[in-house]
Amino acid sequence: MADLVGWWDDFFWGSVVVAQVFFASLIMMVVFGLMGAAAKLSDNRVAQKAAAVYTVVFRGTPEILVLLLIYFGSAITLTGIAHLYDPTIAFVDIPPFWAGSFAIGLIVGAYATETFRGAFLGVDPGQIEAARALGISNFKTFIYIQIPEMWRLALPAFGNHMLSLIKDTALISIIGLNETLFAAEQATGTTGKPFTMYIVVGCIYLSFSTVITLTVMMLEKNANRHLERAR
Amino acid sequence: MSFDFSLVIDSIPKMLMGLGLTLQLMALSAILGTALAVVLLLMRISRRWYLVWPSVTYIYIFRGTPILVQIFIIYYGLPQFEVIRESIFWPILREPFGCAVLALSLNTGAYVSEILRGGILGVDKGLGEAAAALGLSVRQRFIHITTPIAVRLAIPAYSNDIVSLMKSTALASTITLLDMMGIARTIVAETFAPYEVFISLAVIYIIMTFFIQKAFGRFERHMSRYLKREN
Repeated sequence: MADLVGWWDDFFWGSVVVAQVFFASLIMMVVFGLMGAAAKLSDNRVAQKAAAVYTVVFRGTPEILVLLLIYFGSAITLTGIAHLYDPTIAFVDIPPFWAGSFAIGLIVGAYATETFRGAFLGVDPGQIEAARALGISNFKTFIYIQIPEMWRLALPAFGNHMLSLIKDTALISIIGLNETLFAAEQATGTTGKPFTMYIVVGCIYLSFSTVITLTVMMLEKNANRHLERAR
Repeated sequence: MSFDFSLVIDSIPKMLMGLGLTLQLMALSAILGTALAVVLLLMRISRRWYLVWPSVTYIYIFRGTPILVQIFIIYYGLPQFEVIRESIFWPILREPFGCAVLALSLNTGAYVSEILRGGILGVDKGLGEAAAALGLSVRQRFIHITTPIAVRLAIPAYSNDIVSLMKSTALASTITLLDMMGIARTIVAETFAPYEVFISLAVIYIIMTFFIQKAFGRFERHMSRYLKREN
């Protein structure tokens, strides 16, 4: 513990960055997942094919590879474009925070696509027919009937996707984001106590995972409350 | 800015030189991890608190922290202790390969254990009761009735986990191993052509994923062959 004196604030701010990456990538994951599911369920052949390619590619490629490709790829492209305007510019990149969040959101979004697709298919068609019979518009049916029903079915898998997201944030230190692993590396350099420092990082991630697991349990209880009463 | 195909042709054979290492990491960790998973599973379902409790804690810790952090704790962290450096395990823990295999096995063990437990929970209770009525002992029931069915039920999830394991082997490149990912990163550092190199490597990984899924699909069909009569 004595070795950690003076490093707590680094770990704290690192954890804040982890949480920020988590929320940024969570939003992107939901967006990509819903888009993918919509494309897979649509009648449009091109959209179906595109979504199929999306899920196969991002579920079959290592996360670190996607991350490095997006970060260094975008840097090369942006630097190239910047050179057209001002040849003196040496290097332009997307901030690691956004490149990383985007990469993680994109990867886990591929998994979420399948979850959302399955959940939408799991909604009883009778519910939609009933809404139609009551004269509820398609849009309102989607928002008030299909989304809440599908949410209940998607939640368990969605919780796992959130756990994947939080664990994948550790990778972003590889492209130089100043998060907990980065703090541990610096602390090790000064104190020469790598085990202590990396165990702290492990504990931080374990707390994040625990909070997510408990949140999902509460959400599940909330989403299933209408079924509880029926018993 | 243009996509250089000659570089693709150049770099693919170089990256494939790391295929052996990638496959070694994967096969060794899969075997050791699955063995560990069986032990954890037997502890978990033993109903003896002093066996259940350690197993549950182990699974919780290893599933709740990122594999990258686990690799760093083992590779950078363990040498902090004199005891480890003088133990008989040091020749293994000194090498990045040994550390990578250890980390990947410990991690996969936790995940596979939960998958196998899911398989066991999925076995119809009536089968066990029928076997008990026919006079089979608890052990006979577990070996001859529960296990074959649980294995079949667990195959799809197990196959996904082996794909995850294959993708995780790419993280060995962060501790200086020259697997396919490590070689790709070296080439990119030399040529600064992330698109050509990383996209080629992504294709290689996707092909490997395809074959893993094909192989397990075949195994599942083999294990399910007795079900065909019902159709």
